[in-house]
Order: sequence, then structure tokens, then C-alpha cells
Amino acid sequence: MTTHRTTDAAQGAATATGGARAWWRGRSEIFVGLLTVGIGAFLAVQTASMHVPDNSASPGPQLFPALVAALMIVLGSALALQVARRPAPEPDDGGADRPEGAGVVGDLVEGESPHTAAPATHSDWRTVGTVLGSVVLFALLLQPVGWLLSGALLFFGVAWAFGGRRPLFEATVALVYSSVVQLAFVAGLGLNLPSGILGGVL
Amino acid sequence: METFGLLAGGFAAALTPENLLWAFIGVLLGTAVGVLPGLGSAMAVALLLPVTFKLDPTGAFIMFTAVYYGGLFGDSTTSILMNTPGNSSAIATAIEGHRMAKRGRAPQALATAAIGAFLGAVVSTTVVAFFSGVIIDIALRFGPAEYLALAVFAFLATSAVVAQSMVRGTIALTIGLAIAMVGIDAQSGAARFTLGIPSLFEGISVVTVTVGLLALGEVLHVASRIHRGGHQGASPVNAGGTPWLGRGDLRRAVPAWLRGIGFGLPFGAVPAGGSEIPTFLAYGTERRLARFRARRGKGPDEFGDGAIEGVAAPESAASATAGTAMGALLGLGLPTSATAAIMLAAFQQYGMQPGPLLFERNADLVWALLASLFVGSVMLLILNLPFAPLWAKLLLIPRRYLYAGITGFAVLGVYAASYSITDLWLLILLGLLGFMMRRYEIPLAPVLIAVILGPLAETELRRALAIGQGDVGVLFAGPITLGIYTVVLAAVAFVGIARMRARSRAAAQEETGEDAPVG
Repeated sequence: MTTHRTTDAAQGAATATGGARAWWRGRSEIFVGLLTVGIGAFLAVQTASMHVPDNSASPGPQLFPALVAALMIVLGSALALQVARRPAPEPDDGGADRPEGAGVVGDLVEGESPHTAAPATHSDWRTVGTVLGSVVLFALLLQPVGWLLSGALLFFGVAWAFGGRRPLFEATVALVYSSVVQLAFVAGLGLNLPSGILGGVL
Repeated sequence: METFGLLAGGFAAALTPENLLWAFIGVLLGTAVGVLPGLGSAMAVALLLPVTFKLDPTGAFIMFTAVYYGGLFGDSTTSILMNTPGNSSAIATAIEGHRMAKRGRAPQALATAAIGAFLGAVVSTTVVAFFSGVIIDIALRFGPAEYLALAVFAFLATSAVVAQSMVRGTIALTIGLAIAMVGIDAQSGAARFTLGIPSLFEGISVVTVTVGLLALGEVLHVASRIHRGGHQGASPVNAGGTPWLGRGDLRRAVPAWLRGIGFGLPFGAVPAGGSEIPTFLAYGTERRLARFRARRGKGPDEFGDGAIEGVAAPESAASATAGTAMGALLGLGLPTSATAAIMLAAFQQYGMQPGPLLFERNADLVWALLASLFVGSVMLLILNLPFAPLWAKLLLIPRRYLYAGITGFAVLGVYAASYSITDLWLLILLGLLGFMMRRYEIPLAPVLIAVILGPLAETELRRALAIGQGDVGVLFAGPITLGIYTVVLAAVAFVGIARMRARSRAAAQEETGEDAPVG
């Protein structure tokens, strides 16, 4: 671990941008802390400018939000500081990562914990983006196009992101899925899903 | 006795063909989500919530509780065969269970787990049925300050004590409280944090929050790492053979089952975030007992290569907590696990408020529910004892269809709950939030508990302060509130000290160049 740090520091000395990037490695969680502080600040501003009806009782609608906002600002800063001082372990750092899941309870009883998975250090943004894009597309298409097609498209998109590579086959599975859901929930349970452009046909 | 009569009435209702069908669907579904890694009963109930609106409430709740129990039975199967616990409650089982499986004793491990889960469920449900009167008596003595104290207990127990990091846990808690505050304040009519968007006036629906955090968040999280190795290479240990426990196995398993139940019962009623603590306490105790026995020459200490006690005790502890968690939910209106929290939301959707009055107003439903817990436990034992290897076949479903199907259900459920596209956009935002929290190991349970108990905590706080005319001391008056706060403070202090010690021990090891002992 120490060797890693020194090489990072050496790289950092070489170029300023490289140094900044090395510093951020394992410290990306600082953004979570800052986000928390941001939400807290938003709550605080909104609470202060809240329109309170005159007839409300003495502990009004602003007390609880003010408490939560203060807590968020304090805790968010604490997290950012904590991460800045002690970054997440490097992915290849064998012994440094603590077993996940057992948590403090596991420590308390000197328990062991199985390896559930390696801690997430990298994210595959392309796959996440495809899944997210499919859901966004679904939200845009549901009302104009209807469940049958937009649902199938969503299923197809997610299956594709997760590694489906036979377009025709996956598309068939997706259409079967959305039709089964349509039959079970609209015909069976009486949910009211939009039928969209296929409205006349169905 | 009165309880027998009520319970008999409950059985009459639970054994109707329709309710038996709901229980059966529930146990099938619960076992399935339990077996599949990464899914849990909380997510299953959240996804079911919107599509069951049209059902009669008794049928719906019978199904929900069956899912809850089924999840506990199912996740031990995956833990034992694959060493990938789907829920935190199965982590302790996985340790010795998987070692038993690797030694060729998978059928015995599965049988030990299934019988343990069954015993825990039956004993705890019996306790709840016969002590419901006592629970109600206690609950009726609670005023605003006591309810606030209970909510604070639930908040701190889930966020600061159980979570790995106090800061991350309490951040999760405040996120949940913030989500719960959106909308028009019921007491004063002030619009809070709605940004003038009309569909936010009614607040953010619990369905959207749970489905977004648990279902969509999980899908995104898995998507972010599926192409980076992970579980693809793992394959289940072969589980062929008869699940027959020999006399020697039984002699060791029976006391362990009973001790596990002893740990599980009290913890289910305490809002400490589910069954993590009791399962690990049960596991730790068995390990220490085995070491003790070995030292006195009274039997081998098999811990480390597949001890049957290490499977029996955590498993019965986990399902015993589920039973008493149902008791706390029904009698006090206090959810003590994520799944119970979502069920509380379900009660609210049907216009019912769990708590002492539920036993008076909806007695039929409560007793039918309790009776169906027994029915469901028997079904689960039958489904899991001989067929556990068959359930493991679920792991062969291609992941892409599994997650595509879950995503479809997530958007369907959220849309069907309100028929509003705004909720779909909220779902996407909350899914991203859930993804971010998973990535940084920020616990999700505190968010759910806060979203559901937050409004209650705020109402009771304001009510108590109004009664005390602004005197803060009124919050700490009375023996019950003082007792609750003392326990909270003691627990937080205990965990804080234990954690600091563990940290300094780890630091010392790092300095001497030793690796921390891992798994």
C-alpha cells in the first residue's frame, strides 16, 4: 500500500493534472459528501423561505426540516473529510480491503465473512448508460406508443446492455414479455396501461 | 383461552382456497427471490405492492408475509451452494454452510437450514400470537414522546449501530427524512420542497422510493460491473443426495436451533435493522461453544470446515426475527426491517394503521394473517426440504432476462401505482441514488425506515412539543422514554468503542506489515 502511495506521489510531482487525478483515485466519494451538503443547503434555503400559513401551531412546519438540513450539512462535511483523509483502498491492494457485509457486527463476534464480491472501484458507464437510456426512452414513449411496444423496447434495451447479442431472438423474448404482462395485468388484474398507437388494433 | 378461539377463526380464514393460493404464490415468489443473489423479499414486496391494489387486503397481506418468510428460506440455499448470500441475514449461514457443501454434505446443510428456518418461524409466530395482548397493553401506554423515542431508536439502530460506518448510515437516514418531507405538510398546510410541481404536493410515494432504490438501483449496480468479471464463473456445488440428518447431526443441530431461536426472538421486536445482529451473535456463540467443548474433549470443533451448528443457529435466528418483526409491526406499528417497513406502507395504502387499534378494527385480517404464517411455514418446509437443489436451478436463468424483467416490473409498478409519468422520472432519479449508495456502500435500509417513520417522528415531535408548550424536557419525561434513550445511547457508545478498537488493531497490524485476517 505504501509503495502505491509513493508511486502516486511521484507521478503527481511529474505533472500537475496527473497529480490531481491520482489524488482523486479512491476519493470520488467526496462528491457524495458534497452532494449531501448541497441537499442540506437546498433544504435550509427552502425552509427559510417557506411560506407558512398564519394559523399554524407553535412547532410549525419549519422545525423538522431545519433539523434535517443542519444534520445533512454536518454529516456531508464529515464524510468528505473522512474520505479525503482515508481514501478507499486500491483495487489490487489484497489485504487492505475489509470483508464486506459482516460489518461491525461481524467484528464484535470475531466472525468471518465470505467474499461476497470485490468492492466496486470501477463502474462500467457504457452498460449503465444503456440501461438508463432504455428507462428514459420508456418514460418518453409510454404514453404516445403504449405499453406493448415501449415495454418490449425497455426489455430489449436492458437485455442488450447485459450482453444479449442476437437481435431477433432478444426482440422476440421482449415482445413475449410485454404481451404476457399486458395479458396478466391488464386483462387479469385490471391495471390501466396505455395502449398507445396499437389502441385501435387491440 | 381467547387466543385459541381467535386463532381458530384465523385458520378458518387462512385455509380458504383463495387465501391458500395467495400464500402459495407468496412462498414460491419469496423462495425464488431469496435464491437469486442480489434480490430480496423487500424488493419483491415493493414490486408487488402496486399490482396488488385491486386485491382484497387479507389476500395481499397473506402473500406479502409469505414472500417475507420465503425470502429467508430461499437465500440460505444460494449461500450454502454458491457462497453468495443474497441478503445480509444469510451471511452467517454461508460461512459454515458452504464449507459443509464443499465437503459433500450439501443436502445435510440445506436440510439443517430449512428445518431451522421452519422452527424459528413457527416458534416466533406462536410467541407473537399468544403475547399479542401484552404487546397491545404496552402500546396503549405510549404517548407522543414514547412514539418519538421509538422512532429515534429505529433511526439510530439502523443507521448508526448496524451500518458499517456511522457517518454513511446517518447520511442515508437524513436522505430518507428529506424525501419524506416533500409535499404539503398535513398539520399546517405549508407546501414543502415541492418546487411548485403539482404532482409533488402529495409527496413522493413510498412505492416509487422503494422500487427506485431497491429494484432500479440494483439493476444499475449490477450493470456497472457485469462485464468486469464477478459471479459469472461461480457455479453451484452439486447438491444431489437425500437430505437426511443422522442421529449424530440431530443431536448437534437441535440445541443449536433452539439457541438460535433464543437470539432471534428478542431482536425481531427491536428496531435494529433486521436479522444481522442475531444471526452473527448466534454464529459467534456456537463457535465459542464448539471451541469450549473441544477443549474439554467432548466432541470435535468443526468450525472452519463445515460445522452443522454454524448453519443451524443463524438460520433459526434469522427466521425467528421475522416472526417477532411481524409482531412489532402489527402490534406497535413499528417496522424493524426493510421488508416490514414496506409492509407498513402497504397497510397505509389500504387505509389501515398498524398498532394496537389494528387488533380491534381489523381483527379478522390480523388473525388470518397470523394463521397463514403457520400455513406458509409448512408450505415452505415442504417446498424447500426436498426441492432445494431444484431451486438452485433458478440460477441458470440468463441474467439479462432476469434484470430486464425486473426493470420492466419496476416501471410497470411505479406507473400503475399513480398513472403518472412524473413518478417515472422520480423513479429514475431514485434509481441513480440507489446506484450511488450501493457503489459507496451506503446502507439502504435507513433510507426506507426514515421515509416510512419520518412523518410519524415529525408528527409526534410536534405533538409532544405542543403538549409541553415548547418545553423540550417533555420529550425525556417518563420512564419509558428515558429507558429507550438510555438503550440507544448505550448501543451507540458500545459500537463506537468497539469500532475504534477494531480500527486501532487494524492500524497496528498494518504497521507491522501483517495482512488483516480475511475470511
